[in-house]
Amino acid sequence: MATTTLTPAASAYRSGLYEWLTTTDHKKIGILYLVNSFLFFFIGGIFALLVRSELAQPGLQILHDELLYNQLFTMHGTVMIFLFIIPVLVGFGNYVVPLQIGAPDMAFPRINALSFWMLPLAGILLLMGFLTGGAAQAGWTSYSPLAQDRPLASTGPGQDLWIMALLLIGTSSILGGINFLVTIFKMRAPGMTMFRMPILVWTVLVTSVLVVMATPVLASALIMLFIDRNYGGHFFDPSTGGNAILWQNVFWFYSHPAVYIMVLPAMGMISEILPVFSRKPLFGYKAFVFATAAIGALGFSVWAHHMFTTGSVYLPFFSLMTFLIAVPTGVKMFNWIFTLFRGKLTFSTPLLFALGFLSMFLIGGINGAFSAAVPVDFALQDTYWVVAHLHYVLFGGSVFGVMAGLYYWFPKMTGRRLSETLGKTQFVLMFIGFNMTFFPMHQLGLAGMPRRIADYASNAGWNDLNLLATIGGFVIASSMIPLLWNIFISLRAGEPAGDDPWGANTLEWATSSPPPPYNFDRLPEIRSERPLFDLRHGRNVSH
Amino acid sequence: MTASSGLITTGDAGHAVSEHSPVGGLAHDSRGGISNPDPRMILFICSEVMFFSGLFAAYFSVRASSPHWPPQAPQVPAALAERFNLHGEPWFAAALTLVLITSSFTCQFAVWAIRRDDRTGFIRNIAVTLVLGIVFLIGQLYDYSTIGFGVSDTPFGTTFYTLTGFHGAHVFGGAVMLSVVLYRGLAGQFSSRHHDAIEATSLYWHFVDVVWIALFSTLYIL
Amino acid sequence: MSTTPGSRPSSGAIFGWLAAAVVLVALAVLVVLNASSVWNSFFPPEAKSVQGQAIRNLYDVVFAIAVVIFLIVEGLIIWTVLRYRRKPGDDELPPQTHGNNLAEVTWTLIPTVIVIFMFVISMQTLNSVDATSAQPNLKVRAVAGQFQWSFDYLPADAQWDTKELFKVTAPVGADGGLVLPAGQTTHLFLESPDVIHAFYVPQFLFKRDVVPGIHNQFDLDIPASDAGQTYRGQCAELCGVGHRIMLFEVHAVTPADFQAWQQKQLAAANATPPPAPSGAAAGPTIPIVAQNIKFDQSTLTAPASGFTIAYDNRDAGTPHDFAVLDASGKTVFGSKAFTGPAKENVAVPALPAGTYKFECSIHPTLMFGTLTVQ
Repeated sequence: MATTTLTPAASAYRSGLYEWLTTTDHKKIGILYLVNSFLFFFIGGIFALLVRSELAQPGLQILHDELLYNQLFTMHGTVMIFLFIIPVLVGFGNYVVPLQIGAPDMAFPRINALSFWMLPLAGILLLMGFLTGGAAQAGWTSYSPLAQDRPLASTGPGQDLWIMALLLIGTSSILGGINFLVTIFKMRAPGMTMFRMPILVWTVLVTSVLVVMATPVLASALIMLFIDRNYGGHFFDPSTGGNAILWQNVFWFYSHPAVYIMVLPAMGMISEILPVFSRKPLFGYKAFVFATAAIGALGFSVWAHHMFTTGSVYLPFFSLMTFLIAVPTGVKMFNWIFTLFRGKLTFSTPLLFALGFLSMFLIGGINGAFSAAVPVDFALQDTYWVVAHLHYVLFGGSVFGVMAGLYYWFPKMTGRRLSETLGKTQFVLMFIGFNMTFFPMHQLGLAGMPRRIADYASNAGWNDLNLLATIGGFVIASSMIPLLWNIFISLRAGEPAGDDPWGANTLEWATSSPPPPYNFDRLPEIRSERPLFDLRHGRNVSH
Repeated sequence: MTASSGLITTGDAGHAVSEHSPVGGLAHDSRGGISNPDPRMILFICSEVMFFSGLFAAYFSVRASSPHWPPQAPQVPAALAERFNLHGEPWFAAALTLVLITSSFTCQFAVWAIRRDDRTGFIRNIAVTLVLGIVFLIGQLYDYSTIGFGVSDTPFGTTFYTLTGFHGAHVFGGAVMLSVVLYRGLAGQFSSRHHDAIEATSLYWHFVDVVWIALFSTLYIL
Repeated sequence: MSTTPGSRPSSGAIFGWLAAAVVLVALAVLVVLNASSVWNSFFPPEAKSVQGQAIRNLYDVVFAIAVVIFLIVEGLIIWTVLRYRRKPGDDELPPQTHGNNLAEVTWTLIPTVIVIFMFVISMQTLNSVDATSAQPNLKVRAVAGQFQWSFDYLPADAQWDTKELFKVTAPVGADGGLVLPAGQTTHLFLESPDVIHAFYVPQFLFKRDVVPGIHNQFDLDIPASDAGQTYRGQCAELCGVGHRIMLFEVHAVTPADFQAWQQKQLAAANATPPPAPSGAAAGPTIPIVAQNIKFDQSTLTAPASGFTIAYDNRDAGTPHDFAVLDASGKTVFGSKAFTGPAKENVAVPALPAGTYKFECSIHPTLMFGTLTVQ
């Protein structure tokens, strides 16, 4: 395969600190997003380990009351959602999308940089709560009246800092969403029609529509809560004429589409990886696109399934829409499986994580269907069943997808390959640890263990499964060691990757690793969704 | 290398810019069509529409679950209930509505002017738009000072100030954009071929006006 | 040109497969040894209410469908992964199938039918679970406050805000809890004076949020055969720093026992309160502060001739009182509750010397201590 880049006369990057602080290059900004997000992944993970350590045995061993415990799980959820999962996927999108569409950068490079730098600032603001008398402690869902500034509720600045941090992050998201949409619509290389775009680009497109439409509603909710807390407002506090359920409706109107924001780009990454390692095209490209769009649209109609037990929701509609959203998800699952079917599979680390994604997301989707059945939700809502469900889709799903993407694109970003041995070690540890932690939570929820309790009765029968889950949590933590070691040694002395170490299909592999600042000297002709494959094999290969 | 004008590949080289394209007057890249700032502003306006939707949804929800709207005695003191009667005195707000609608017209006149290279007409109309916008803001502040209830006076007060307050903030943002555009216009930076910022600003200004019409109808008429 | 890495198993890969195999074998052994309890763990507890039984029936159907779908899809994944591995050195492309419209239609239509079926049966179950009787045998209002449950027993024609006939303030224990007649229909109203809580009894497979300002209510039918049983319940909506201890018990009793119990409660509620201490408050004044549902001290010493509590209730909107219990748990003195922020003097009459427990009877699990009378 002929290389498509000219050898640059000078080094491709100025890589000093000033360059990193002021860059508007989407590739560097993408890497900044990834590094920042993983930092918060570890912070959120430490909060989780503290929570799990407390729950391993009945009795309060580590914390002496719930005050800190409530802050820990609130901040765990908030940090993982807003400072890890959402931005890490934006980071991958930032790096890969312009390359995949043959563009030299994003449409608005300076706004891109602004979007990034708002995040570390927001993170600091959020964590400051711990130093100012207590971080937010009403759960990441921050229900009113518990989130109001009243005795025994959320007095102190921690909750206000939480609101401000989320407003910043939301603004960063919206600006990023606008950036992606304009880039995708306006800057594709000649020949790349919409239906020749890589699937990752499609998922980023739908995700960005969700971001632009849903995140502002969260902003309005946050502002209304801020007014309640600080200016004597009466939106959400029933004791002064407000409406507690109103908060839940406005909050979930964003936070349900948010879960698709958190998973669709990961699905896009899986959809890039499975074809490459099966050496076949993605099965049902167009069906996949329509299924993604359907999930995006339907995602706006299901929010009140988080509120089935409030007695204030029109149950039949939301239950039906929740069931229906399983259909396009199932279409995708089958399309992925049939991409593998009759392929020739190479079990590199990216494929292992992609396969892990398929199995874990399957479980997460299935246990979600239980909750869609309203009477069953009466038993399972607000118990550890829900904790199991959300972690199977967000960790087993999104995080496994992120790991797959990391191993897949690391060679492109750095010019070095990661060690396969260490990668497989991480996969095994993470897979085992993940299931050890979260599978028992199905049983715990069924047995009646509620969420968000710092402690439980020693005679409730929950002791053994909690201990197992805690051990699993530490196994997950241990899986980070091979990952970090792998990155460290590969950056220094990893095998040079070359342009296209995987034999891949899309345009980012048609330039050097890492690409020059302007991305491409020359582009292959684009006549399908696999321009590099076509270049390599010609268009005569049997379809 | 910036990306503001589109593609830089050496593939299908761009065809010549056409003066007679159907979107004549808007700056365009080598493939025709509107360039990057307009989709950006449209998407931004979409996000702002959703933001106001959240606030309006809260307003209607709070209103629907109140026994009386506006709140009446004996839930609130009679004097306060009297202040809540916006229906009885919509005249000042109606005048502000007229001001804003007029400013939308002058804004559009400014856009049409620059599209045909009439820089004087453009400057004049933009200046009038800006002045009308400032008049609106002063009027809004005056209204606040005489209206007789505050943000913490029942959910009625809270929703009133939240809705009109955030709208006012958006008008202020629009006024800033108009000032920048006026300044750049006076400095001679715009022509019929290059005036993306004016198109974007006018789209935003019309949006702000439409939100006010919805607000006025909701708060003072419905 | 591309190299496909990892086609020769490295020592790391061997380690990985070995680890996975060990774990799977260990799991399989554990499962086989504990087969029935493992199987039961996939189900909620046996339902102890009529509504709960309907929910359990629905759960069983959903579970069966879920298992079948999981086995088919996961099976397909595992089979595909095992069957279609690339043999080392095989560089030929497999058939480049782009898709199949018939397949897409099939796996769109069949899941749609399945989910619509699940929707329909779940709605049928919902109708039976949420149905309320026109003439329930008993009406009770469960009050969830931070961080205590209490139960108001209401007259037969009560609405959600009718004054109670009597109140049970101890959420657990032989003398407290939600006592209900088995074999009869109880209508429960839910009320919260502060934040959102949730009424949850795992053995009823049921919960409902307690939202301030909203009047949630539902019917509960415990089968007659379950008289004599006690079920644990717990608040299931984060409500602050006492969320974990908001436990309660449901005591199912025969209708006859319930009548007897109800009569006793009515008599105690209507009994004349203990005579107020005569004359001026005697003895020393002991200050005590109630804040954040806690007393500021857990040991008090007082003379047998009587004393005065200078009671500073700093919890806004929250009622507290002062009660003294003797060694057998009997209440020998109880003051009237008052709502904070406020200060009141509570005159405690003469008591025999000994060790007592003092508490706030509204929050007995959080506010208590030892009183030594000398």
